[in-house]
Amino acid sequence: MHILLVEDDAVLADGLNRTLQAQGMQVEIARDGLQADSLLQRNPPLVAVLDIGLPGIDGFEVVRRLRARGDATPVLLLTARDAVEDRVRGLETGADDYLVKPFATPELVARIRALARRHAPKSNVLALGNIVLDSGARRARVGERALELSVREWAVLEYLLQHAGRVVSKQQIVDAIAPWGEDLTLNAVEVYVSRLRLKLDGAGVSLRTIRGFGYLLEAGA
Amino acid sequence: MSSIRLRLLKWLVGPILVFNLGAAALTYLLAWTPAQLAFDDGLRAAASALAGRVRAEGLAPLTSGRAPDDGAGETGWTALHASDGRLLAGSAALPAPAGPGLRDARIQGEPVRIAVAALDWQGGTAQVSVARTVRARGQVRSAIVRSLVLLEGVFSLALIGLVWFSVGNGLAPLARLRARLDARGSAELAPLDDSGMPRELAPVVDAFNALLGRIEAGARAQDEFRANVAHQLRTPLAGLKLQLEWLAARHALDPDSARSLGLMLQANERMIRQTNQLLSLERAEPNRFARARLLPVDLAELVAESIQHFVEQAAAKDIDLGFELDGAPLQGDRFLLRDLVDNLVDNALRYTPAGGRVTVACGALGDGGSFLRVEDNGPGIPAHLRPRVFERFVRLDEQTTGSGLGLAIVRDIANLHGADLVLGQPAAGSGAVFTVHFP
Repeated sequence: MHILLVEDDAVLADGLNRTLQAQGMQVEIARDGLQADSLLQRNPPLVAVLDIGLPGIDGFEVVRRLRARGDATPVLLLTARDAVEDRVRGLETGADDYLVKPFATPELVARIRALARRHAPKSNVLALGNIVLDSGARRARVGERALELSVREWAVLEYLLQHAGRVVSKQQIVDAIAPWGEDLTLNAVEVYVSRLRLKLDGAGVSLRTIRGFGYLLEAGA
Repeated sequence: MSSIRLRLLKWLVGPILVFNLGAAALTYLLAWTPAQLAFDDGLRAAASALAGRVRAEGLAPLTSGRAPDDGAGETGWTALHASDGRLLAGSAALPAPAGPGLRDARIQGEPVRIAVAALDWQGGTAQVSVARTVRARGQVRSAIVRSLVLLEGVFSLALIGLVWFSVGNGLAPLARLRARLDARGSAELAPLDDSGMPRELAPVVDAFNALLGRIEAGARAQDEFRANVAHQLRTPLAGLKLQLEWLAARHALDPDSARSLGLMLQANERMIRQTNQLLSLERAEPNRFARARLLPVDLAELVAESIQHFVEQAAAKDIDLGFELDGAPLQGDRFLLRDLVDNLVDNALRYTPAGGRVTVACGALGDGGSFLRVEDNGPGIPAHLRPRVFERFVRLDEQTTGSGLGLAIVRDIANLHGADLVLGQPAAGSGAVFTVHFP
């Protein structure tokens, strides 16, 4: 996963670089807006992580030029300011998401992955911990063990894997797996999740229940 | 402190009274002198007439020693004295004249006016004196004085009243100015409205507005400086956090390094939180709020937006964090409300011991309002300390790290939204329940 990281603060850029590389991403770093602008043209990344306050041209301008070229590369803006105008302006300029510094690392990773998925050619394989879900072959396994999943269980696990690292509500799951107003209750989601929990034993992931709200699937036992 | 009203009154009323007194004295003179002259003319004429009769008739007209009645009820005396002062005829009550003319004297203890006329008498000269009491004159004089005193008294009172009223009326713009200043909040630094202010006050209002302008510019510069510093801190704090996390992951197996790195991460989190709170505090300034737009928001959505952060914080402390979120629509500033939610939940997670339980609930109320409730089963807050927890920099527990700003921010934001903030305790067991009722 090729990421372009544009950040002028050396300490933060280095930290982000290590963190993202530890997540298996290939990171290219630009220090200012103009360099970012040319790298975006020469070597388009899967996702661009862009600081707003940059020397030369700022992050807004980089995004504006990117979109003006008709380039749809997903952009996650990093901002040190949380002024309302900044947030609104960032999204209006054509950024896909924004995150206020300092951010929680898992959230940053989750958002980058979400942007990559949304814009990448649909990958058929989702993986987390020891879980591999191959929707092309319609096969799922934990390590070497094959997973037998019902259609609904498959859909729930697929949604959770797509949003790994992020809290998802039961309602979001219902909306995602039963989009045509099919009769699916929140209680039914709970049943599917508790079955999944049993089947995912030893999968190297933690599936945490957020009482009264939803779930959080993360790597790590 | 000197009073403009008293000063004006002193300088207006004092001279007016002096002038009035002078005018009264003049009026008295002008009224009294002609009356006096008329009386004297009458008396002199009487003396001349008597002298004429004596010349023609001898001493006969003087036998009674009484002056003819002048019709004014005055008592009168007549006498003829020789040039050496001998009484030739008439009343012995009259003193010997000193020469022709008019003078005052007393007869039988009563003040009289005497007119003396000279005439030739048996080869020499003699003097005829006519004396009359001055009762009528006294009456006329007191009538003049009485009317003057009455007139001037009424006149002076009317003037004082008029001056009092005009001074009050003239000072009214000052009172209006004061009312406009009184009506301001402590942080309201907008220029004073000078409409309806008289020209004389304009320089004062201008000077005041210039001062307000300088103060506001100073306050704004200070605000901006604070916000700027806080913003500037965020990037290095974010960098430090990532570096520390990376190191901590690398040294997880070395207990000493892990412990030290854990402490550094905690300190880093604390700095991040403090920085964010400084910015929240600034956002919750009533001045800024007035400019913020109120839009329909749903508390349930706001809480959901922050859940990720809460869940991570709760997981770190092994706290069972739960939600009971029902639609809670209201008119509000979504960024401020998020600060409110963040601070309430953060407070609960902070003061609840590991293994505890925190529940965030929101929903609509029957009266059209909505509520947000954050309940924990921590140690709770003793009743006598509850009123103080919303004050800035008040921390109830020295063991727990916190800026003491969180609940003050919550209170400020609740106030801005006209919401009631209530601190209670759970129905059963220990703990604290913060409830915000939005109208």
